[in-house]
Amino acid sequence: MPDDLLERFRHRDRLALARLLSRAARGEGVADLLARLGPPAKGGRVVAVTGSGGVGKSTLVGKLLETIRRHGPTVAVLACDPQSPLSGGALLGDRFRMPSRPDDDGVFIRSLAAAGGHGAVADHLDVMVRLLEKFGFDVLLIETVGAGQGDTAVHALADVVVLLLQPETGDDIQWEKAGLLEVADVIVIHKADLPGAAAVEAQVRQTLALSAGRQPAVLRVSSRTGEGLEPLWEVIRDLPPRRAADESGGRDLLRLAQEAVAERFARAEATRDPALRRILADWRGGVVDGDRAVAALLRLLAGG
Amino acid sequence: MTSAAPIRVVLAKVGLDGHDRGIKVVARALRDAGLHVIYAGLWQTPEAVVRTVADEDADWLGLSLLSGAHMTLVPRVLQLLREAGLDNVGVLVGGIVPEADVTKLLDMGVARVFGPGTSLPDIVAFLRQRAEAGHA
Repeated sequence: MPDDLLERFRHRDRLALARLLSRAARGEGVADLLARLGPPAKGGRVVAVTGSGGVGKSTLVGKLLETIRRHGPTVAVLACDPQSPLSGGALLGDRFRMPSRPDDDGVFIRSLAAAGGHGAVADHLDVMVRLLEKFGFDVLLIETVGAGQGDTAVHALADVVVLLLQPETGDDIQWEKAGLLEVADVIVIHKADLPGAAAVEAQVRQTLALSAGRQPAVLRVSSRTGEGLEPLWEVIRDLPPRRAADESGGRDLLRLAQEAVAERFARAEATRDPALRRILADWRGGVVDGDRAVAALLRLLAGG
Repeated sequence: MTSAAPIRVVLAKVGLDGHDRGIKVVARALRDAGLHVIYAGLWQTPEAVVRTVADEDADWLGLSLLSGAHMTLVPRVLQLLREAGLDNVGVLVGGIVPEADVTKLLDMGVARVFGPGTSLPDIVAFLRQRAEAGHA
């Protein structure tokens, strides 16, 4: 990690921020970076916007960005789009639906490619969130890949999860399936200017009424007419932040250790490491039990 | 985990020019070639394009112009890139550019002008070759 880049970052150099975000996205020196950045800034707000493809995530993020800026807080956007599992290429087409505000230093938009298998967001998103918060952005909007069901990985990262639905989304059994509806803090019936919005809202409210515990807010929003944008920001602003304070950095270090272990395991597997093969054979053959096999594996990988 | 860095390209249309079929085809071809393409869309100002290139930490900027305003808009973009400290970003121009202007644009610092009849593999090959030569 070149020191001058971090130094420029501390002096609020936008190009240094952009460069560090690229490094974080590639996973370069993230352990170092997290340690040097320290714990997240207090009072920041990370908002994840999720929902299936075509529901209007980018458009809503763009409108929300303008609404928030009118109230004063600065906003950074991390917009995730899928990366091809075949070519590794990606067409990142979120930001063109958002307003371009070249004169406004209080807005930063970054497009990210999300490889599959990590729950609808790009790798190392937590490091990028930390960078943007430390740079001084008040609100972070994370747009997930349009997946819809099961992309609950953002839950741990965000203070507020906003789930977008639209008219004609599906019948009431859709809502009973486990997953997103349970982790959402705010449910937005988007495109509320279209017919059918009231029916979807009624279905969602009915489903929620049957579940015990915390009730998410349900709002109708239209990015076309602007209806519901102000109330949406008020709800997001006033919800208690979910990210628990982790002053010690324990969770950061655990995540990095997990990553390092996975990487070393993959390398040992790829090089057909004899020690690893022996551990695997002993475990599968019942020579050693699970606990001892895990202990042996950790010893092996720690030495590597 | 560390992976090889994909080339990041911002594609944009500047000024009053609504013809976006070509730029979308190029976007798709670059995506299929393994690049990360940030599509900035229509009617961008030079200032907005340069801000996008900066925040996205792009290696290349591809400008599509079919409006005839290339001799006004491209120099402006180049100047703003320099002012922003983004001299390292390569600039490509695509669209309808008369022969005489191509030379002028190249002299100003544009890396290549791709006119009508350019094949998609040519664009990909050019970017790959430049990446291997150390740009981006």
